[in-house]
Amino acid sequence: MGMSVHHAVAADPQTLREQLSRLPGVTTARELFTGPEPLPVDGMLAPVFARGGLPRGEILSVTGTLALSFACAAAAKSTREQHWCAAVDTPELAVAGLADLGIDLEHFVHVRTPPADWQRVVSILLETFDLLIIAPPAAPSPQERQRLTAKVRERRASLIALGPMPGSSESCEVSVAGWDGLHAGSGRLRACTVRVRHPRTGEHLLTWPLTPGAASVQQLPTASGAEAATCRPAHPQVQVIDGAG
Amino acid sequence: MPAETQRTLVLTVPDWSATAAAETHGWAAHEPVAVLRGGRIVSCNAAARAAGITTGINKRAAQLRCPQVRITGWDEDLDQRIFATGLDVLETSLARFTMLAPGEVSIPLTALARTYPSEDAAVEELLTTVTDATGWEFFAGIADSVFAAMLAARTATRVLPGQTPDFLAAQPTAALAYADAHTYGELVTVFERLGLDTLGALAQLSEGQMRTRFGTLGVQAHRLARGLPVHQPVDHVRQREHLIEVPISPPSTRGDELSFHARTAAAELFAGIRAAGFVCPSLTIELVAAGGQRSQRTWRLELMDENLVADRVRWQSEGWLAGQSAVAAEPVDEGLAEADGVCALTLAAAELLAPLEAHTSLFAQRSGYVTHTLERLQGLYGPEAVRVPQLQGGREPAETNLWTPWQQQPRPERSAAAPWPGRLPAPHPMIVDRAPVELLDRQGMSVIARPSGLDSTPVLLRLESGAQFGIVDHSSAWPVEADWWDPARAQYRVRLQVLTACGQAFLLCKEHGRWHITGRYA
Repeated sequence: MGMSVHHAVAADPQTLREQLSRLPGVTTARELFTGPEPLPVDGMLAPVFARGGLPRGEILSVTGTLALSFACAAAAKSTREQHWCAAVDTPELAVAGLADLGIDLEHFVHVRTPPADWQRVVSILLETFDLLIIAPPAAPSPQERQRLTAKVRERRASLIALGPMPGSSESCEVSVAGWDGLHAGSGRLRACTVRVRHPRTGEHLLTWPLTPGAASVQQLPTASGAEAATCRPAHPQVQVIDGAG
Repeated sequence: MPAETQRTLVLTVPDWSATAAAETHGWAAHEPVAVLRGGRIVSCNAAARAAGITTGINKRAAQLRCPQVRITGWDEDLDQRIFATGLDVLETSLARFTMLAPGEVSIPLTALARTYPSEDAAVEELLTTVTDATGWEFFAGIADSVFAAMLAARTATRVLPGQTPDFLAAQPTAALAYADAHTYGELVTVFERLGLDTLGALAQLSEGQMRTRFGTLGVQAHRLARGLPVHQPVDHVRQREHLIEVPISPPSTRGDELSFHARTAAAELFAGIRAAGFVCPSLTIELVAAGGQRSQRTWRLELMDENLVADRVRWQSEGWLAGQSAVAAEPVDEGLAEADGVCALTLAAAELLAPLEAHTSLFAQRSGYVTHTLERLQGLYGPEAVRVPQLQGGREPAETNLWTPWQQQPRPERSAAAPWPGRLPAPHPMIVDRAPVELLDRQGMSVIARPSGLDSTPVLLRLESGAQFGIVDHSSAWPVEADWWDPARAQYRVRLQVLTACGQAFLLCKEHGRWHITGRYA
C-alpha cells in the first residue's frame, strides 16, 4: 500500500484528491508526491535507495549474505544525526563492527524479546524510535502485517526488516561480490565488494573499506560506474551495472 | 552561626618569598630583593618596594626602577623548607596550629584560651617568641574565621568578636584571591563585572542564588564572604530513610488499582524528599504478594513525578504477573500465582542527591520519550532485555563487546585505552558467536594449526547444527599469545578467517585443540 502514493502522481486530480483525504499522516501537498523526507544515509549509499535515503513510514526489507551490515551502514548516518535506532532480536552484534560502520553507539540499543512478543515490542518501540532493524522470528499474518504497516506509516519510522517481509515498499538484496586480501592462505580479510540489487534503482557495487577511521561505504571505482556518474549526475540510479559485469 | 565560627589568630610574614630568598642567599635586610615567577615579580621586600617595585611587573621594569635589586627565581621548596624550620619554635609553645601557606600560619584561639588571660596577651607572647627565634617580622590578625583573620593579618588588625561580617563587608571582592588566587581568580573578575565590588555585596546574595549561578565554587566564595568556614557541613544524605509502605487490602492483581495506590504513596514520599532538600533519581519498588513472594526492582526516574512511579508499579506488577520474571536478573523475583494478589507496596528512595548533582544537561541526548519506551520494555521483559553498546579493551570481538542494560552504569573489565597487541584488525565481524565447529581438510581430517601455519588446506566447515559450508579461500593462520606470564590468564590461540562458497566469511579460532567460530561477517 505504501507505493500507491507514488504512482498516484500520474492519476487525474479528482482521484488524487480522494486518495489524499484517505491517507493518514500526510500533512503537506508536497509529501503527497514525494513522501516524507527520507532519513539520511551516508553519501555513497544514497544512490541505492529510490529516494536517496531510508524511506520513512515504510518498510525496507534487506536480504542476502551481508544484510545485517548493510542495514547497520544505512542506519549509521541517522544515528549520528541524533535519531535513535534499535535492533530487535538480531544475534549478538559485535560493537567493534557497529563502530566500523559509523554508528553512533550513544543512539543505538539492542532489544531482546520472547519470540512470540516481537510485534508488541516493535509497536512499543515505534512510539519513539525513528529507525528499527528487526529480524522477525516468524512471518506475521496478513492482519498483523497490516497493523504493523499502518503503525510504521503513522509514526513515519523507518523499519528495516532483515529477511523477506511482505508489505515492504522497497527491498534490497545484498550479496558478496568478492572479498579481498585472503590470497589463498597468505593474507587476511581486508575489503569486501558488495553487490546490492534493488528492483528500482538497479544493481550497485560498493566496497566496504572497513579500515579504521574510514567508516563509510564507498562506491567501487569501476570505470563504467565512474563515467556514468560524471555524465549524468542528476540521476542517482545511473550507476547501474550490467548483470554480467 | 556561632557554632560555625572559629576565632582564629593568623601570623603572617609579609613578602615571605622575598624574605626566604634573602635568608638563603645571605642578603642583608636593607637590600632590595624581588622574586620572579613566570616572568612577573610575585614578591618583593620593603626596600624594593620603597624603590618603586611592585608585584606584577616584569623583570626589566623592576631593574629599571631599581638597578641594584637582587632578583631570584621563585622556588616553592625553598619557601616551604625555610618556613618549616622557623616554625619549630611554635611546636614547643602551641598545641595546635595549621600552616596555611609558606609564611602564613593559623592558630585557633581556643587553643590559647587556657594558657593566656586574654587575646592581647597571647598574641604579644607568641609574637615575641617567634620573632626572637626566627628574626622575621610577623604580622598578626585575629578574626572569627580563618579567611577573615588572613585579611586582618595583612593590616595587623584585631577584629572584635562578632564584627567579622562587618570587617569582611568592607573588603574588596579581589580579597578572595588571598584565600586561593588560583581557584577564585576567574570568579573574582566575574563578580567585579557584575558590580559586586565588595565582599559585603557578595554576602547579601542568597546561598541558593549563588549555588544555581556559580555552583559549588560560588557557594564557597559566598561562605568566605560571610565569615564562615569554607568547608561545608558534610552532606547528611540519607540521614533519614525515605520509605513508604502501603498495605493493599483486599490484595489485588489489577495494575490500575496498584498504580492508583502508588500514585498517592509516591506523592507523599516525594513531598518528604523535597522537604529535605533532595531529589531522588532512582526509586526501589517492592511488591509483596499475599503468599509472601516479593518482587523488587530499582527504577531510574527522570523526574520526581508520581505518575512515573505509578507507571513503573503497573509495569512491574504486570511483568511479574505475566510470569516473565524468569527473564529478570533480580534474584528476589519469584513466580506469583494468579490467585494471590499484591498485598503491600513499598516505595523507597534508592538514591538521594543534592538538586544540582541530579541535573541533566539541557542537551542530553537521552530524551525522556526514549527513556520512557525503553523502561517500559524493561518493565515487561526484565532489565536485560534492553541493552546499549559500548567498546572495551580486548582482543576478540566477544571481549571488546560491552552491552549494558539501559540506565545501568557500564562496568568495563578491560581498559579500551590500552594498546591490546594482537587484537583483531578491521574489518571486524558483525556478529559475535561462540559455537564449536569442525574444520576439515580434503581427507576429512580436522585441520591442525601450528605456529608456522596450517598443516593442510581447509575445505569444509561444519557447524554444530550440522550445516556445512564449502571453503573457497582462507587467510593465513596467525597465532595470538596473551598474558603468557600469568598461567591463570594465559591464552594461546590461532586465528583464521575463511570464506565459504556462498560468500559468507567467518572468523575462526583454535584453542585447546578445538576450532570455534568467534565471529561472522554478515
